[in-house]
Parts: sequence; C-alpha cells; structure tokens
Amino acid sequence: MGKIVIDDSRCKSCYICTMTCPKGLIKKSSKTNRLGDYMVEFNDEKGECIACAMCAKRCPDLAIEVYK
Amino acid sequence: MQQVFSIPKSMKKDFKYTFCPGCDHGIAIRLVAEVIDELGIREDIISSTSVGCSVFLYDFLDIDCVEAPHGRALASATGVKRARPDKFVFTYSGDGDFASIGLAESMHTALRGECISSICINNTTYGMTGGQLGPTTLLGQKTTTSPTGRNVDYYGYPIKIAEHIALCDGTAYSARVALDTIPHINQAKQAIKKAFQVQLDGLGFGFVEILSSCPTNWHMTPEDAHKRVREEMIPVFPLGVFKEVSKDGN
Repeated sequence: MGKIVIDDSRCKSCYICTMTCPKGLIKKSSKTNRLGDYMVEFNDEKGECIACAMCAKRCPDLAIEVYK
Repeated sequence: MQQVFSIPKSMKKDFKYTFCPGCDHGIAIRLVAEVIDELGIREDIISSTSVGCSVFLYDFLDIDCVEAPHGRALASATGVKRARPDKFVFTYSGDGDFASIGLAESMHTALRGECISSICINNTTYGMTGGQLGPTTLLGQKTTTSPTGRNVDYYGYPIKIAEHIALCDGTAYSARVALDTIPHINQAKQAIKKAFQVQLDGLGFGFVEILSSCPTNWHMTPEDAHKRVREEMIPVFPLGVFKEVSKDGN
C-alpha cells in the first residue's frame, strides 16, 4: 500500500495526474488555488494505491511525492 | 513509509517551475537532474544555456552555467570545453535556438566531434515569444506567423534535427525521444544518459532531441497536447536512435 503527497504550492492544475492514475485515485477537488483553478486531491479510502509513481513521473511541476 | 519518488538532489532547494501548466520542460529538466545524480557529475558540470523557455534551466538546476547569445549555446560550450577539458559540458536548448538561429553552430559542433552533450526540446514552435513558426513547425500547423497553416510553397519543410546530426561524422550518439507516455519518458532518460556517457567516454558529440508539448501556444489542454505529440508529431519525427558509436569504435 502506498500514498502520495501533493504539494499545492507547486501544482498548476494541469490535471495530467488525474488522467494518468490507473486506479483513478486523483481527482479534481472543489478547492481553488490563488489563481482560481480547481486543485487536485488524492483520495484512497480503500487503500488501492500501489505507489507505481506514474502520477509523479508525468507531473510537469514535480508536485507529487510518492511513499510506499 | 519509505519515499520512492522524490525531487532529484541536483535541483535547487525550494525551486518552483515558472513554466506554463502542463509544459514538458519540467519533465525534461527532471530527467537531466536524475541523470546528473546517477552519474555523480554535478560538481564537474559547466552548462551553456540558450535563449527561449529553455533558458530557465539555471533557475532550477544547482549547477554552474554560462549564458550564451541566442543560438550560440554550442559555440560557447565549445570554448568552455576546450578551455577546461576536464569539465563536463552540456547544453539545453529549444528547437528555435538549436535548429534555426543556431543551426550553423550546432551542425559544426557535431562535425568537429566536440565532446559535448546537447539536448534539444522540439515543440514545433517558438514558445517564449508567443508561438511563431519555427524550423520544426509541422506542415499545416497554424502559428501566429503562419495563420493559414504552414504550406510548402511559402515556408518549406520542417527540419528533422536528430537525423541531420546523426549524419555528421563527429557525432557519437543521436536519438529522438518523446515525453507523452511513461514508457517514452523512461526511454528519454536512457537516451539522455547515453548522450552524457559518450562525453564521459570521450567518443564525441552526444545529442538527444525531445518531442515536447506546448499547450499554451498550441491552444490545447495538456492532455490534448500530448495526444497531438502522439498522433501528429511522432509520424513526422519518428522516435529512435539514429547513431550510436560504442567504445570499441563500431
């Protein structure tokens, strides 16, 4: 079981991670950043994340840290 | 819990990318930083940077850099390498810098077989200046200076940089990679590592062309921009290794 930590100060809301996660665990959230863009949130209630790091590898802003 | 993915050590502390959302420069710079970490050459690097979006490399990497005039990154790099042959020298530039204004410098650096590594980001447009037609702009692509699309009669054909560099006798490694999917990102890292390794082995010029997206100037979402790389760019600019010289001279 893994988890990711998203650095909201780095994230620019490009949503590449939401389309990359094979389990669909990263979703657009209702919170906005200072530019008014909807941020992303990681929600893994069932413990499905396997720390494959695909989200982090495709994040253009290095906003995601992955733990296992 | 153990951290399995983190920011490379060669990147500056508390940096924040200033690129547009979804820009592939961020991934390309991360791959360069990871290769620098793995080869353990950070203290020996002098980088020569270009003009364009790629110039911000020195804001994010904790390495020594010299700034070159537009297109002359490899000319400056040649001077640095000849003055300090013990240092590791690489350039990081865009297609407009490398293959338009700096084509003579780039080509002749490869022909001289300078032991320099070079990375060129090909996004088929001039990103920083507002999306003008560049040397790699695809046929039919609309830009601010080709509003009806690039046509052959008026603008000619796009340049295939990696193939041209591979034809130069001084080139030790020339490859084209993309950043649109995870397997392509992994291949890109291997290619950057090889282009760096040929310099360490003293074999000659190492070159990697990276197909990248520019969502802002293409007027697309980041995901659509990656789709365009896959469906429109890769058929025109095929991925692969076009030249590789090994240590035994083959």
